[in-house]
Amino acid sequence: MSLYAFLGTLEIGFIYGLVAMGVYLTFRILDFPDLTVDGSFTLGAAVTATLIVLGYNPYLATLLGTLAAACAGIVTAWLNLRFNILHLLASILTMTALYTINLRVMGKPNVALIMEPTMLTPFEALGIPAMYMKVIFVAFCAVIGGLLVAWFLNTQYGLAMRAVGSNKRMAQANGIVVNEKVYVGLALSNGLVGLAGALFAQTNGFADSTMGIGTIVVGLAAVIIGESLFSTRSILVIVMSCIIGSLLYRVAVSMALNADFLGFQASDLNLLTAVLVALALVFPKLRREWKTKKAKGERV
Amino acid sequence: MIRCENLHVTFNHGLPTEKLALRGVDLSIPSGEFVTVIGSNGAGKSTLLNTIAGDIESTRGKILFSDRDVTKLPATGRTKDIARVFQDPLAGTCGNLTVEENMALAYGRGKRSNLSFALNDNLRKIFKEQLSRLNLGLEDRLGAEMGLLSGGQRQSVSLLMSALQPSSILLLDEHTAALDPKTAALIMDISSQIIEEKQLTVMMVTHSMRQALDHGSRTIMLHEGKIIFDLSGDNRADYDVKDLLQLFAQARNDGEELDDDKLLLGE
Repeated sequence: MSLYAFLGTLEIGFIYGLVAMGVYLTFRILDFPDLTVDGSFTLGAAVTATLIVLGYNPYLATLLGTLAAACAGIVTAWLNLRFNILHLLASILTMTALYTINLRVMGKPNVALIMEPTMLTPFEALGIPAMYMKVIFVAFCAVIGGLLVAWFLNTQYGLAMRAVGSNKRMAQANGIVVNEKVYVGLALSNGLVGLAGALFAQTNGFADSTMGIGTIVVGLAAVIIGESLFSTRSILVIVMSCIIGSLLYRVAVSMALNADFLGFQASDLNLLTAVLVALALVFPKLRREWKTKKAKGERV
Repeated sequence: MIRCENLHVTFNHGLPTEKLALRGVDLSIPSGEFVTVIGSNGAGKSTLLNTIAGDIESTRGKILFSDRDVTKLPATGRTKDIARVFQDPLAGTCGNLTVEENMALAYGRGKRSNLSFALNDNLRKIFKEQLSRLNLGLEDRLGAEMGLLSGGQRQSVSLLMSALQPSSILLLDEHTAALDPKTAALIMDISSQIIEEKQLTVMMVTHSMRQALDHGSRTIMLHEGKIIFDLSGDNRADYDVKDLLQLFAQARNDGEELDDDKLLLGE
């Protein structure tokens, strides 16, 4: 792998680290499998890119893109809480609707940002080559994002949110308003994912209506890889392991794609991802089964 | 104090599976009284407790806490007044949070959560102190995951948690039923200590007639959604488990006779 490709891998890894944190908030903290992220990643990118092209300040555009994605999360929560639509289905509905909304926001299938100012423009004066600068910038965003998420989950409010995901009845008996926590959690999660989309659009120079496909699986892969690396109770370590999981996932995938003897093409990415996530999900179960089988064998 | 006026609860209203869980319960419990609630399965004991706690909305009637009408208040709004311990040891705590995190949640019961850290050294000291009352060695396991504790240990912590915040009412729903006799005795012991210490108004649902008579100062029996007898004072002191059983049987026979009458009339 060339240095350039490696830096590109790190860059994408850090950006999807933010996605992984969002997925961690819904899947693990709230126990709410949320597929909205496939749409909200694109929404964050689409809103940001469109606003930048319209001449808005890139930082303001990114903020608005993030907020738009957060709203998408609120819609999913509303469908689920207000109308009792199954969480998975509610999120699929929002995701489907977002496909159209994203096309409408951009007015075309993709928006190019190559010649436009981005969040990185103010740092060009530092004289660091763009390929390094990009990695440093997204790494900074991911780490700050991680610190904020970890801090939030350790506050009274964050702890209440974790209780909602763990035991609703207990949460309620302790005066926690369950629905409010789900709304806030989904808004935060999708906001993080939208921010990742906005960063992706600015570092890669485009927003595209199909860029969000598979976001959920990649995010989940990063969470699971991170979890299997560290067994800890520390929220800070768990959140940071989302970033590390995302980086490792990217490195593994780009090595697999780059290894000529394996014969993979770039278009095999999604299959590789699905297989990788399936393996990561299946492995702990298989290991338990082997263990019990072994134990049984010994008794006989 | 708690007052229930003509409390009705109907499940599946208007459907073939309609169930009249409470059929006009009138109950007044003065502050500081410890009431034990008995009755057969499906008599409405848990429904009564859950309605008072706000988990179940009443179909008719009123609930008042010290003359304040709380009938329309949701469960979360009543947690300022009410602490609860459930029958299932797993229900009262979060299995994948640590002991101290669970206690921090209970410490914030009835208060608005904010963005300050949920745990600090000061709180840990309080939690340690409280846990040491149990003599289970849990004071050294603040950071342990709740799910790793035994059912008895979890129930003990739930009980402590219910007393971390001042409340006026404690609802115990068969909170010793899922435990072995030794642990059940320990839990009952700590319950009594806490109740006495904090001067709580208590309702305790139990299946054990012995427990119902040995604890508290008043016993009510529910049958088919109604209070069929209410024992207190000297009257109650004379009662034994045998007498209770007799009353119990009587109540059931009465019910069955009525049913028979209905059958005859129907023909």
